[in-house]
Amino acid sequence: MRTLLIGAAFLIASVGVPPAYGQKATEQYIPLGQSPGVSGKISSIGEISGTDARERTLTLAEPSGSRTVKITEKTRIFLDRSKLKQASLTGTFDDLRKGRRAEIKYEDPALKQVADWVKVEITQP
Amino acid sequence: MRCAPDAVKSTPFPTRRAAGALLAATALAACQPPPKDPQAALIAEGRQIFFNETFAGNGRTCGTCHREERNFTIDAAFIATLPKNDALFVAEFNPDLKQNFENPRLMREFGLILENLDGFGDLENRFTQRGVPHVLALRTSIASPQGPRTGWSGDGAPADGSLRAFAVGAVIQHFTKTLNRVAGVDFRLPTDRELDALEAFQASLGRQRDLELPLPLKGTVAKRGQEIFLDNALGKCNICHRNAGANATRGPQDAGNANFNTGVEDLPDQPADLSGERVPPDDGFGTPGDGTFNTPPLVEAADTGPFFHNNAVATIEGAVAFYNGQAFNNSPSGRFLAGTDPNGVGIRLDATQVVAVAAFLRVLNTLDNVRSSLELLTQSAALGFFEREEARRLLRRAAHETGDGITVLVGGGLHPDAVAHLNEAARLIDRAADRVFGRPGLTREAIQAQERARALMIGGPP
Repeated sequence: MRTLLIGAAFLIASVGVPPAYGQKATEQYIPLGQSPGVSGKISSIGEISGTDARERTLTLAEPSGSRTVKITEKTRIFLDRSKLKQASLTGTFDDLRKGRRAEIKYEDPALKQVADWVKVEITQP
Repeated sequence: MRCAPDAVKSTPFPTRRAAGALLAATALAACQPPPKDPQAALIAEGRQIFFNETFAGNGRTCGTCHREERNFTIDAAFIATLPKNDALFVAEFNPDLKQNFENPRLMREFGLILENLDGFGDLENRFTQRGVPHVLALRTSIASPQGPRTGWSGDGAPADGSLRAFAVGAVIQHFTKTLNRVAGVDFRLPTDRELDALEAFQASLGRQRDLELPLPLKGTVAKRGQEIFLDNALGKCNICHRNAGANATRGPQDAGNANFNTGVEDLPDQPADLSGERVPPDDGFGTPGDGTFNTPPLVEAADTGPFFHNNAVATIEGAVAFYNGQAFNNSPSGRFLAGTDPNGVGIRLDATQVVAVAAFLRVLNTLDNVRSSLELLTQSAALGFFEREEARRLLRRAAHETGDGITVLVGGGLHPDAVAHLNEAARLIDRAADRVFGRPGLTREAIQAQERARALMIGGPP
């Protein structure tokens, strides 16, 4: 019994506590709308209709309506330049400009309050 | 199933001609083989993509690093046999990939592949050097309560983190023509259908379920090794590698695949570090990393070395002995085990115990080689004359599996009697592969030789 409890406690203490999630490094190079298992399923795609630099929020207008999400220091911002046939880059809050097409993946797909990453489509140099 | 249109002969001419044509068409349809299992077709499609599709990139395929003849991994010895123009060496002959794509010296000498798991913003300084993980038994080894865990640090796939999405990340990291990595220019992304097929193929490889230990092993040393493995007060292996698989133990149950910080990064004198080449520390899961790495299955270990995420240890005995050392016992995992031990010990095995556990793992691996060989040989024996190319392909795979089993047992000085039968099986397989006629009979004899070998290692079917 004792060894079973050791096993259970060891597991709880040693397992990586955060949920397993996809690595974000190569996500940078996946064009907007093409992330398998994410795009069209648990992300939102639309046009940036507004941002609030003080609150650090972004409002996205999608076909189903508008949604405002929080951009935290952990949120990755990707600049998808594939339509320009140029390398995609990481961006900053300043790159979240009104009128740009964007995709948001949420930290919690059920709550949809905080962005895990945001992809912004860059169509002009 | 009758295919001959005998009814045509009793029908008057010219009606007979029309009837004959209709009947011939019907008979032809009746003679067609039954529709293929759609899942089998998807797996076959996935196999074709895995080994042949370059995704319009630099010439690499999935099979460039995950070689079927090397248990879906590669090591320095295998790499040394490849021609200079093999796509694995693209960094050596593609000027756009000469810098910051691979380190040819570390690849050739230690089998290490460059990965930019923490991003591509500083290619000169931010990268890891990791071994190629095999892709066997994935159906048993990546599921966790927190979601799928792929790759050495359990976060190998982009997007939804699934095995299905893994190929997308791999194409971006390894298949690109230039370091710009522009989709549609430097590579193309796999389609949904291709991702489905690749996932089905990879999930079909190797064991489809975990073992149930203890097994009725016959070898003296391997039997003792199994006891130590399962003893949660001595070897403590079963806590993280339940039934010698990739999943952890929670009480009597399987807790799923997990990550642990076992201190591998703290090993002194790691081969890649000794080279003098730049090898930044690997911080494991996440960005920034938490120091944990994913648990691989152990059944497949003995013939898929070197071991650990950075190929730090070459032999299975060395991998077992790692858990005796300071790096492990000072690690979070080692300290936790020590904290719950009445004598304050993490893991401490003497030399003979290390060898016994390694012997157990060698025998387990060979039993899996035999299991796989028997499957392949049985499939091959059932194929007819017109499917002889497919039959030969299966025989070649069985030959590799048999050869691996021999190498693993001989390397541990184990079961010389079984080795003799495996050698016989290998000879029979070679002969069967060379024959146009008589192939099925020789294949069946090879099956019997495999079964004799197995019977010397274990009581009853594994």
